[in-house]
Amino acid sequence: MPREVLDRIIEDIRNDVLKLSDVTKKAVYFSIEALKEKNVEKADMVYRLEEESDLLNLDIENKILSAAARYHPVAGDLRFFHAMMKVSSNYERICDLAQKIAEFVKKSAEKPLIKPLIDIPKMRDIIIEMIEQNEYAIKNHTTEPTNSLQNMDDKIDMLYEQIFNELVGIMVKDPKTVPDAIDLLFVARYLERIGDIVAKSGARIVYMIEGRRVWIK
Amino acid sequence: MNAIETINLNVYYGEKHVIKNITMNIPKNVVFTIMGPSGCGKSTLLRSFNRLLELNETARITGDIKLFGESIFDMDPRELRKRVGMVFQQPNPFPHLSIYDNVAIGPKLNRLVESKEELDKLVEWALKKAALWDEVKDRLNDPATKLSGGQQQRLCIARALAIKPEVLLLDEPTSALDPVSTAKIESLLIELKKSYTIVLVTHNMQQAARVGDYTAFILDGELIEVGETSQIFENPRDRRTEEYITGRFG
Repeated sequence: MPREVLDRIIEDIRNDVLKLSDVTKKAVYFSIEALKEKNVEKADMVYRLEEESDLLNLDIENKILSAAARYHPVAGDLRFFHAMMKVSSNYERICDLAQKIAEFVKKSAEKPLIKPLIDIPKMRDIIIEMIEQNEYAIKNHTTEPTNSLQNMDDKIDMLYEQIFNELVGIMVKDPKTVPDAIDLLFVARYLERIGDIVAKSGARIVYMIEGRRVWIK
Repeated sequence: MNAIETINLNVYYGEKHVIKNITMNIPKNVVFTIMGPSGCGKSTLLRSFNRLLELNETARITGDIKLFGESIFDMDPRELRKRVGMVFQQPNPFPHLSIYDNVAIGPKLNRLVESKEELDKLVEWALKKAALWDEVKDRLNDPATKLSGGQQQRLCIARALAIKPEVLLLDEPTSALDPVSTAKIESLLIELKKSYTIVLVTHNMQQAARVGDYTAFILDGELIEVGETSQIFENPRDRRTEEYITGRFG
């Protein structure tokens, strides 16, 4: 096997996944910014980022399939391809969820928020930090940063519970808020789901690096 | 019970130490592949299992090899080789014999049959087991050299099977064959393991990954790692195995 050729392909795929990771962070970040400000331009930006993530994911998938067909990767190479395929499709899925949040913004751009957003941006910030931990692990081939993913995901779950209870209280007090509160509930639910997906991606990265199966959530 | 066990096995050619203290078990009814770079000692290891090494005057062996629990060094070598058949890298049918006689000669010389009818049955059985019968049944009297390389190799497998061995040793049996013939031999090995224990030496890693149930990696005469093939190719425990199978050396 021309080892140096495979090494170049691996590097190329690693860079593409890091690019996708960056796109994913931006999509999550701007989806909540768009919601906070009811800003349609920022929501449109999330749409464009989602398209970019589709293309990157497809490109990564094609490169992995082609490399698998030509070079029959095994051991660490095999685990790298497998993990990057999963992480790539997970991040593309996260961008889909961010786009769903942007959809709410576009649908209700004229209406003010029923409450100021406090915990939702907190969830977003933790997610971005988790994605950065995964990025660091992929870049530096170390599992150390993934150790905190479980705790961070637990924090996201707690915030989700808090938001859920708060929104139920608002809806009980004033039934007119129900449609908008349900939208916010969905936003929180999507973020909670995104936290899970990032944590599971971290577990794949651990397997890639150490060949050890870990279960995060 | 394991088909083969090696216990602290060492092989020397003169002063050269070529197999270094190998202890490993080969379970029965599996395809057990031995891989490693050229010159690592994998063929030597294979040839120790049927005492073929002893034909080399400079070879010296220490340690023990057991076949189904019994030391092969307590057996008559000819009896051992009936129980442990061997197929080599280059198809080597007897060129002056017909397809039929290539298979029949072993049972005849070893007096495994008492009548022509019994021999016919045995030849047909062996050719069927080697997945060659349908291709040659109408030309059994043709010289074996008229067959393609892949057919000749399956004929050699049929010849080995006709002696009714328990273990079949194969030393790079497909390295001289095209991909279709290779695929036929590989699917044959998977079929044969139901009745025999197959030990396959290969430096084709994809072949080891495709057909092996267990894989051993040998480097410079040492057993570096042995385990289930899926574990070796997905998550090898030794850095040298990882480096070899990912093409970083060898």
